[in-house]
Amino acid sequence: MSGESASAIQKGQVDLLDFIDWSGVECLNQSSTHSLPNALKQGYREDDGLHLDSDADEQLLLYIPFTQVIKLHSILVKGPEEEGPKTVKLFSNKEHMGFSNVNDYPPSDMAVLTPDNLKGKPVLVKYVKFQNVRSLTIFIEDNQTGSEITQVQKIMLYGST
Amino acid sequence: MVLEATMICIDNSEWMRNGDYSPSRFQAQADAVNLICGAKTQSNPENTVGVLTMAGKGVRVLVTPTSDLGKILACMHGLEIGGDMNLAAGIQVAQLALKHRQNKKQQQRIIVFAGSPVKHEKKVLEMIGRKLKKNSVALDIVNFGEEDEGKTEKLEALLAAVNNNDTSHIVHVPAGTNALSDVLISTPIFTGNGEGGSGFAAAAAAAAAGGVSGFEFGVDPNLDPELALALRVSMEEERARQEAAAKKAAEEASKQEKGGEQQASSQDATMTERASASASEAETKTNDMMDDENALLQQALAMSMDDPAINQEAKDTDMSEAASDDPELALALQLSVADSSKDSSSQSDMSKLLADQSFVSSILASLPGVDPNDPSVKDLLASMQNQSESQQKNDDKKPPSEEEKK
Repeated sequence: MSGESASAIQKGQVDLLDFIDWSGVECLNQSSTHSLPNALKQGYREDDGLHLDSDADEQLLLYIPFTQVIKLHSILVKGPEEEGPKTVKLFSNKEHMGFSNVNDYPPSDMAVLTPDNLKGKPVLVKYVKFQNVRSLTIFIEDNQTGSEITQVQKIMLYGST
Repeated sequence: MVLEATMICIDNSEWMRNGDYSPSRFQAQADAVNLICGAKTQSNPENTVGVLTMAGKGVRVLVTPTSDLGKILACMHGLEIGGDMNLAAGIQVAQLALKHRQNKKQQQRIIVFAGSPVKHEKKVLEMIGRKLKKNSVALDIVNFGEEDEGKTEKLEALLAAVNNNDTSHIVHVPAGTNALSDVLISTPIFTGNGEGGSGFAAAAAAAAAGGVSGFEFGVDPNLDPELALALRVSMEEERARQEAAAKKAAEEASKQEKGGEQQASSQDATMTERASASASEAETKTNDMMDDENALLQQALAMSMDDPAINQEAKDTDMSEAASDDPELALALQLSVADSSKDSSSQSDMSKLLADQSFVSSILASLPGVDPNDPSVKDLLASMQNQSESQQKNDDKKPPSEEEKK
């Protein structure tokens, strides 16, 4: 695990948690009891009891603006084996998307998460596409087993400014 | 004070011609919409409200979400009734309109007036509800008008699908004497989610419960003076009837045999109560602030108990004017009025009061909306004087008439 954490925080990359503009963070279709801060915020995300749940169906749409322009290197998504997310699409600098127009734009990057990823292996993104990121939209399209609720325990973003 | 963008979906189908809500379903709906728009824009100046119609040729957006109240009220003019309501399409178009709101920080809300039967399947409505919930749109449903079997069930299912943490509400308004707007004022549709009670809505709700804060009865006399006046007058009448009901209950305990008398006695009681109520208007206002919901409950009870008295009251004024023309009627009226009194001293006091025309006219002048120089009012005064004079004569006639009865 220590080896993993060392590789997770790669050379020059920092945890972008400090650059998140919390006033503008939004999450569509999240459950009211299990909401986004559970997965994003320092302290909450380490607690396995606190996680982000989807509400009406299994999709989730996260919108994370930043206080300054950043470069995104990789993301880490932790979740349970069954309800954890599978297909994750990332959009850079697209404000206020909704579920209806999320498929109208090609994503800046897409990742299909494996159980390994869900255990803590970060996913490297197409760095060239994320050089000038003001806001990040994460669209979780489905989960590992197709269950009704998607659960996310932790989301970490790595990059530089 | 929640920052909100609201789309109001109006039902302007043929079903709205019905008059079971006064003056017509459509007019009652329009009044409610106007009130809602006012409440929303007042609670937060950045709130926006839009309006669309669901029936007619098709769903039509009359005004996109705007904070300009004048524009919203203007578009309510010249609306035509026709066609059939398309609830699903209406909600979907409303959702689309909200999606393109200018200020993305606003919470999204749709208010639907469902007056005609719902022709969609429950499943379809549930799917729409889930989609709304997914996009964090709150939905308020006003179920009025047609009472279709299954309609309530479908709307409840829709609400259950949309509801996220009690942000969505449904209100069932049955047809009756209460105006649609009055019923809505006390619901969460106006008052927000409890924590976010706007000043307008809070004033309206508090006033409905008997208190006075800011605007009396929650209606700005500048915005709608007639409505404010009507509300004030009806509030006074309500108080008078309530006191009459209390008196009636006390009298009922002592005079159980003669049921007819009581109604007639409450007639007199209400007439003087009205006089005394208007005279001590200023005092009772502050006192009544203390009765909150209890007063409202009592008034409702009083109204249901007093229904016969109310009818007789109305008839009384008509009869008084007719009595001046028809002497036989006048005699009959006087006899029925005179029969009631066992307590002749109080009767003569009351008749003295009534006889004092100057006193009565001063009371009438203080009553808002009554012009003492109006000929019909003058006739009424004259006939009342005749009544009081003949009552004094009848006081002598009474013992022999009672003996005859026995």
